[in-house]
Amino acid sequence: MFIALAIVQIGIPGQMIFKRESVLKTGTAYKFKTQPIDPSDPFKGKYIFLNYDLDSAMANDENWQRHQDVYVSIANDSLGFVKALSVHAYTPESGDFVKAKVRWFSDSNSVLEFSLPFNEFYMEESKAYDAEVAHRNAQRDSIPNNTYALVYVKNGEAVLDNVFINDIPIAKVVEMQ
Amino acid sequence: MNSKFIKELPHLVSENVISSEVASKIEAYYQSKASPSSNKLFTVFGVLGSLLVGLGIILILAHNWDHFNRMTKTTFAFLPLVIGQVFVAFSILKKKSVAWKESSGTFLFFAIGSSIALVSQIYNIPGNLSTYVLTWIALSLPLIYLLKSNTIAFLNIIFITFYAIEIGYTSYFSMPQTPWMYLVVIAAIMPHYLVLLKKQEAPNITSIFSWLLPLSLTIVIGAFVKDVSELGFLMYVLLFSLFYNIGKIPLLESQKLRRNGYLIFGSLGIVMMLLIMSFDSFWHIEHFFFGAQESVVSVVLLVANIYVLLYSYFKKWLKEFNAFQYVFIFCALLYVFGLNIPVLGTIAINFSVLALGITTIKIGADKFHFGILNYGLLIIAALVTCRFFDTNMSFVIRGLLFVSVGLGFFFTNYVMLKKQKSRVESQNQ
Repeated sequence: MFIALAIVQIGIPGQMIFKRESVLKTGTAYKFKTQPIDPSDPFKGKYIFLNYDLDSAMANDENWQRHQDVYVSIANDSLGFVKALSVHAYTPESGDFVKAKVRWFSDSNSVLEFSLPFNEFYMEESKAYDAEVAHRNAQRDSIPNNTYALVYVKNGEAVLDNVFINDIPIAKVVEMQ
Repeated sequence: MNSKFIKELPHLVSENVISSEVASKIEAYYQSKASPSSNKLFTVFGVLGSLLVGLGIILILAHNWDHFNRMTKTTFAFLPLVIGQVFVAFSILKKKSVAWKESSGTFLFFAIGSSIALVSQIYNIPGNLSTYVLTWIALSLPLIYLLKSNTIAFLNIIFITFYAIEIGYTSYFSMPQTPWMYLVVIAAIMPHYLVLLKKQEAPNITSIFSWLLPLSLTIVIGAFVKDVSELGFLMYVLLFSLFYNIGKIPLLESQKLRRNGYLIFGSLGIVMMLLIMSFDSFWHIEHFFFGAQESVVSVVLLVANIYVLLYSYFKKWLKEFNAFQYVFIFCALLYVFGLNIPVLGTIAINFSVLALGITTIKIGADKFHFGILNYGLLIIAALVTCRFFDTNMSFVIRGLLFVSVGLGFFFTNYVMLKKQKSRVESQNQ
């Protein structure tokens, strides 16, 4: 009896790992432009909360409820960053997509605002706040927003791999300062 | 205390109060009894130690050691889990003592939490504290039965309560939901508690459950109220009444009052709810729906109350009339028929609080219990104080009410004291 329970106790986190590893190995990488701020979780530690620039898209359908699941079809734009192609209430049949939650739908201009779920990036406890500062400093140069999250996507599963400022991992940027 | 008594023994022998044979017998008796109590101490310290070490590991891992690569961090995520499992397997296979089982179980409980948390940290799996806690509980709940562990049962009750608060009251990213899973987990813990109650081997541990369960339910039942908040009051009255009726079951009532959390929660809860409902403004209720979730929960609680009452009746446990046990029927009827008739509701509830106060005074007088007697007087005093704030009553009437209740305090206590004195005297004669 206990052996079965022990296997399940190892199996659940194991399955969590296996699922993410599979996305990281065989999924497609996308760059999501973002603005980090720093909160904390009692069990998982410090993280930066990522406010993505990609937070809305045009929607044809009008029956959107708050907190409803929405599937966002994505592709890379000419600069190599992610852009939304369309939004769907059900899983799209082709192309890469990510699952998000509806925040707001505006009837007047048919814009659907959504929040992406992979918005927490865990960092060493002393670095999370510095990461927020590093992003703010990087904003002062001529390039508009140069902080982005590298996210691997496969069959709608998205795994946040790392966050970069000017193509340097954010933890490294903090160490360099 | 025992050691003090044993130290007295040579003195008693020298004074010829007891023989040396009796003295050695008494000493042997206390020494044979001493071993389980030191075992209990081992258990308490073992559990406390595991609890602190487990929490410490969670905090250390939450630091996020980012110079390790993903593989190393993943290994660290599983290390405490595997160590905990080895200890638990060892204490099950070798049939170790309760102290071993409780301590290793507590450690494994926190190791489960730390491993899920760390995997979420490594792979940046986003928030949702409630899902995390629920997974944690699901993975640790079977340990209650495999180890017969009370600590894990306590931890599970505390964590599922936390889960219910998290999704039922506060929710940042979505609408507050009804914590149905709370009921499932509590139901899964119940058999363990019922066995403890029936065996009556560990009254102290059982009494912690008897306080923790009503406390947890009192906190959580409000999360079942969503749209029809008017029914929330009825739900609480029904819940407290259910606690009271459960507390009156001989298995619980025969124990000391301080071990019977149900009775105390139930009694105080009923009185407080009725006092709130005794205000005139309470009964201006707009609407209520029969199909709403709140109505369903209320009906379930009502049926549970009636079931416990009928069961007690057929088992002949209801020896004398106690208004506390029946007041829920009255409240439920008022809710169904008395809505939008404030006069009816207000007057009826005021009289029922008065009836409860008088019942309590009568119980106190019958049992010669000053505590219960004065609790009854306090109920009436509270009722009068509440009416003090109602402005549509003449000052003279309010004044007279206060004076009469005050005199009541003096009078009843005086009569009781006299009665007790005469009883003691007649017993001495």
